[in-house]
Amino acid sequence: MTSWLNASFSGLSRAAAGRQAVAVIVSVARRHGDRRRPYALFALLAAGALAVSARGEDTFFAQRVAPIFEQKCVACHGEKKQKGKLRLDSFAQLMRGGEGGGVVKAGAPKASELFIRVTMDPEDEDFMPADSKPPLTPDEVKVLELWIAAGASETTSLAAIKGAPALAARKAPVAALAPDWHPRAAQIAQFEKSTGLRLVPRSAVPTDGLVLRTASAPTRCDDAALAQLAPLADLVVEAELARTKITDVGLVSLATFSNLCALDLTRTAVTSGGLGTLVPLQKLESINLTSTEVDDTGVARLKQLPALRKTWVFGTRVSTVAEDPAAAK
Amino acid sequence: MNVFPTPFQTRRAFLGRVSHGVGAVALASLLEKSSSLHAASARPAARGVVYPLPLPQKAKRVIWLTMAGGPSQFETFDPKPKLAELHGEAMPESLTRGQQLAQLQGQRLVCHAPQFPFAKFGKNQTEICSLFPHIGSVVNEICLIRSMTTDAINHDPAHMFMNTGSQIAGRPSMGAWVNYGLGSEAENLPGFVVMVSTGPGRSPQPIATRQWSSGFLPSRFQGVQLNGRGDAVHYLTNPGRVSRAQQGADVQAITALNRQHDAFVHDPEIATRIAQYEMAFQMQASVPELTDLRGEAARTLALYGCTPGDGSFAANCLLARRLAERGVRFIQLYHRDWDHHSLLKEELPLRAKEVDQACAALITDLKQRGMLDDTLVVWTGEFGRTPMSQGNKGTVGRDHHNKSMSMWLAGGGVQRGRVYGATDELGYAAMENICTVHDLHATMLHQLGIRPDAFTVKFQGLDAKLTGVEGGGVIQGILA
Repeated sequence: MTSWLNASFSGLSRAAAGRQAVAVIVSVARRHGDRRRPYALFALLAAGALAVSARGEDTFFAQRVAPIFEQKCVACHGEKKQKGKLRLDSFAQLMRGGEGGGVVKAGAPKASELFIRVTMDPEDEDFMPADSKPPLTPDEVKVLELWIAAGASETTSLAAIKGAPALAARKAPVAALAPDWHPRAAQIAQFEKSTGLRLVPRSAVPTDGLVLRTASAPTRCDDAALAQLAPLADLVVEAELARTKITDVGLVSLATFSNLCALDLTRTAVTSGGLGTLVPLQKLESINLTSTEVDDTGVARLKQLPALRKTWVFGTRVSTVAEDPAAAK
Repeated sequence: MNVFPTPFQTRRAFLGRVSHGVGAVALASLLEKSSSLHAASARPAARGVVYPLPLPQKAKRVIWLTMAGGPSQFETFDPKPKLAELHGEAMPESLTRGQQLAQLQGQRLVCHAPQFPFAKFGKNQTEICSLFPHIGSVVNEICLIRSMTTDAINHDPAHMFMNTGSQIAGRPSMGAWVNYGLGSEAENLPGFVVMVSTGPGRSPQPIATRQWSSGFLPSRFQGVQLNGRGDAVHYLTNPGRVSRAQQGADVQAITALNRQHDAFVHDPEIATRIAQYEMAFQMQASVPELTDLRGEAARTLALYGCTPGDGSFAANCLLARRLAERGVRFIQLYHRDWDHHSLLKEELPLRAKEVDQACAALITDLKQRGMLDDTLVVWTGEFGRTPMSQGNKGTVGRDHHNKSMSMWLAGGGVQRGRVYGATDELGYAAMENICTVHDLHATMLHQLGIRPDAFTVKFQGLDAKLTGVEGGGVIQGILA
């Protein structure tokens, strides 16, 4: 048990991160203003598969450069649209250039229209990607720069160009945390009404699950309320049960919350014995046991939870975990 | 406490209220709840206007530590050896030309060395003024921004700007915005709580209550000030021999009258008043429980270094944690007397001592309880201070300055152990990763799950937003 020291991020956060990145990019782009000329060169849209003709899998172009075009450019400069008569969906097309001529000058990034356009002042109307589409990241710009500087070849091997920024870890496809809650909206409203507790969507993504919120009136949440939640149990990914009246009996209900990732049991009457019933929670990543009577035997039982990464045991009888933050440094 | 099904007090709110037939239920459940008979009549806490949240929520609540007066970055978080070298020499005019200054306008501008040594802390050997060893000890949890800037150079407009995104009074404070957007989680405490502390001794400039105003948002979103000393809320306790039941009956009767009148005139402020009576009645029970620190372990009190009820910043930090536990969404603590035009060397160490241990304790305590991950802690003044000395107010100090200031954040999905941005060699202006107050607000909203640019309220023909007309960009570089 590493207790609160462990700061690694959960799948929950990771899944969220992908979407967040998109949100953020939009906001950055907006900041840079949105007056753009219509004939823009590049544009966004990650979707749309494109055939980047890559000869040899291990070339720098195929591995590092083409994916940037795919993600940020070909929606407007590809098979379907050819703004500025430029296509970036293959090496040959790229080298053909657009209506203004060639866009890559081998060995000279700063003289290459391609590079100039993505590095100029984002407020400039010639800046690419246009129309507030997500700009290239500094890493992506660096990749282009290195590649052009190294001769802008299709065949240079991946290993031959040094100093390229490491590839960002591929974002795992955003997995559903729970089933879509919308079909059960009426049941959710009914639960909220009858118990005075809240079931809040984690985000606008319908498969992000619900958070059970009790902070408004923790004393209202007891074992019976949790039992009432049974028909909605698979929707709940986070249960905030701090200071509620739940006991080990409630933990039996919680054991059926198959998608539960985070559980806060701060200052409740749960015991070490009760924690054993949580073993079916395969997705549980964090559990907060602050100010409970739990002891080492309870924490030992939690070891069977495969996804558990964080356990907080401040103010409990647990002895095995460094509680003193100063001591833990 | 929601009285409206719709969050706003306009024609739309009125129509909404009529169509939902609400208003009648408002106080009905109150007495029942207080006698702990709940289930059947219980209402879920108020839902915010941003629902569901467009972004996953990284921070569920905010604890905003305002060092009122404008702490000097040179004696806190921004080491400037070059400034020490040039001590006593004229400030390069190329830097200062055209700059508006508060009290040094037209004066000779002279470099003033940092007055205290810096020390290295944490895994990244972050340099922090040696007056802040406790904050240094938790620097691995902190994201320090050395490139913050602001627009204002005088206290009240600068606070206003930091709180509302506008220097001109009348806009909603960020705590009001956040509760308006997310709804209040706490049913028997206000969603936005403010506490003010001052060290012993001097009498610094006051903090106006308009700093936590709800502006053009309904007034139930305004900050409620709790006192750290004496009664947490004045006039909240019942007079002797008035029982809770009697008081409840009074409130119920008054509310019935208010409702009757409201049905007639449809004034949204009446609904607010009903909600406030209800809240006050709830707080008669919840506030004594909140401020009763007998349940806190001795080692917790020692961690913060406070005596319960002493009204210190440290005691307020402990209360802030307790408020956070009880579902309060936005907690703002002011600690005054950082305005060191003079007596910089003499007074600033006293302020440092008053806040250093408490700030670190708050972070440590939230962390050990598993609350730091989803609580955004922000430490900031309303502006920075000049690298130039000010000698026209007695002993040497520094003037107000808006081109550079240091601040930090912790928790709430912000990177840990990070230093972001930098100022020039003399600390005159932010140079790298310049951040604005709008950016800070945008970042905070983003971490709370709200899209800053889409979070607007129609006011005087504009889509008013916390991040202002200019808008703010989320400070991506500090997000975990």
